[in-house]
Amino acid sequence: MTNLHQPTSAAERRSPAQRRGTARWFIWVLACLMALLLGVVHGSTAIPLGAVLTALIHPGRGIVAVIVWQIRLPRIVAAALVGGALASAGATMQALLQNPLADPYIVGASAGAGLGAVVVETVLPGTLLMAPAAFFGALFSVFLSWTLSRGRGRSAMLTLLLAGYALSVMFSAISTFLMFAREQSLSAIFAWEMGGIHGMTWTTVAVTGVIMLLGLTLLVPERRHMNALLMGEDVALSVGVPVRRSQGILLLSASLLTAAAVYAGGLIGFVGLVVPHVMRRLVGAEHERLLPMTFLAGATFLMLADTLAENLPPLGLLPVGVITAFLGGPYFLYLLADRGRGNRPN
Amino acid sequence: MQAMAAVLSLDDVEFRWPGGEPALGGVSGTVGEGTWLAVIGPNGAGKSTLLKVMAGWEQPDVGTVRLWDRPLASYRIRERARAIAVVPQRVGHPYDLTVRTVVALGRTSRHRWWDRVGRLGEDHVQAVERALALTETRTLSERRMSQLSGGEEKRVLLAMALAQETPILLLDEPTAFLDPGHARDFLERVRLLVRDQAKTVVMAYHDLVTVGLYCDRIWAMDRGRLVLAGSAETVLNHPELQRLYGLEFMRLMHPRHHRPMLLFP
Repeated sequence: MTNLHQPTSAAERRSPAQRRGTARWFIWVLACLMALLLGVVHGSTAIPLGAVLTALIHPGRGIVAVIVWQIRLPRIVAAALVGGALASAGATMQALLQNPLADPYIVGASAGAGLGAVVVETVLPGTLLMAPAAFFGALFSVFLSWTLSRGRGRSAMLTLLLAGYALSVMFSAISTFLMFAREQSLSAIFAWEMGGIHGMTWTTVAVTGVIMLLGLTLLVPERRHMNALLMGEDVALSVGVPVRRSQGILLLSASLLTAAAVYAGGLIGFVGLVVPHVMRRLVGAEHERLLPMTFLAGATFLMLADTLAENLPPLGLLPVGVITAFLGGPYFLYLLADRGRGNRPN
Repeated sequence: MQAMAAVLSLDDVEFRWPGGEPALGGVSGTVGEGTWLAVIGPNGAGKSTLLKVMAGWEQPDVGTVRLWDRPLASYRIRERARAIAVVPQRVGHPYDLTVRTVVALGRTSRHRWWDRVGRLGEDHVQAVERALALTETRTLSERRMSQLSGGEEKRVLLAMALAQETPILLLDEPTAFLDPGHARDFLERVRLLVRDQAKTVVMAYHDLVTVGLYCDRIWAMDRGRLVLAGSAETVLNHPELQRLYGLEFMRLMHPRHHRPMLLFP
């Protein structure tokens, strides 16, 4: 107790951590750019790297420039946004529910989105309203779960989880019923449910981007509250986190991110579950670092997965959701096995 | 009850857990400024519940808890967190934060809007350093919570509560899971806080010997009621205490501190 504080200067104390932080940003931004370039270079039409780079720098009216700027770039940027948003939403849900197995869809977003899509495909088939309907379906479903959990005090988050599960089951049943009742070819819905980033225009990318930006902006002032929530609601409350309000904001932000991702890419699984896990191992659980790094890693991962889905020659176009599940599932099993060996879960 | 200014006062507080027996049945009492109060009693007496009500985590069904001159329930969460800090009995840390992050959580109630959107202000950084120094946890600051021993974890949780810079500290069984050496070390730190910083401490505790040696006042609880309240000497010497625990005590005086000690023959 004798050595009272000898505060070192801020610059001196922070420098090693700061340098690590800068290096981390540099690496992940670079990874993102590499994945972007890879996605632009590879596609159904073989274009040499030089031509792609020329077209990137001089967006003219040549065929290469059109392919690069109107087809490949919007698509790969959409993949980045969807991946980043799903991964951030997953990290947020895991902190909110204090549950490492939470993913962006856990409180009913996927089933709500599915129901929205099916209803619109049934009522107004062939219109382009499926994606907006999925967006609002996802938001509606989460809002309904949240309404059911309000006023439950201590058990609010458990109720949210259970209500989300119950609503998912119900909405899926209604979707299936509608699909059977119409007996129509529902390949559009099936393809959408597997998740895929197709036919992107810059307008879609912009709409998605703006909604995601809103969701991410809401997260920024809450990131330290998320750290406190990891310690349990009581501890968060006693250090001064307005727990209920924070939970509401986190849920709103996560569902905006998820719904926007669903709007652009359908239901893409595993990104939102696995990427936050991996990043927590790499950079730690502190959300000041975890959230931005998770966004960049999610973006990189989905850009790579999407490029792979586009370019598996014997199979033609694969839904990117198949790729992410194929890569994410085994990794998750590895995590479980690792935990079984007595290592701490993240 | 006491000459000193009342910091926390309870007026006929009743509390019942959902679907359970009444956990608190009409508790009244006052905690004076700068005192170290121990809440004792057999298991299930309502000690932890009393602390939760004092922390504002639970609202009493009947009666009021007052913090200084206002009902505790009328304080905003941030405002309350600047008055009362809690060292919880245990925390789960499934996500492994670093020690420094956990201690910095204690500053949450003092964040201004620019602390929330950007880097934490220098005053917060300094307060965290002070709390780390006071609890001698600075060498642990980059470690993860899961890598700590039980004693280290307790010191870190105390550091988090100290970073809150509150006049009141609530401790729930703070030395459970600690060996006698670490337990004594923890209590000595609290003693200095009461003596040097005039903190008001309320501590739920099981060990009557320790309570006699360290605490100024004692509340003895039994089945949700406050049965004995007074100075450590008065309560530990009261014949009612034996009935409470269903035990025979032997009463001694500590040879050096001249404080009451109970022995269980």
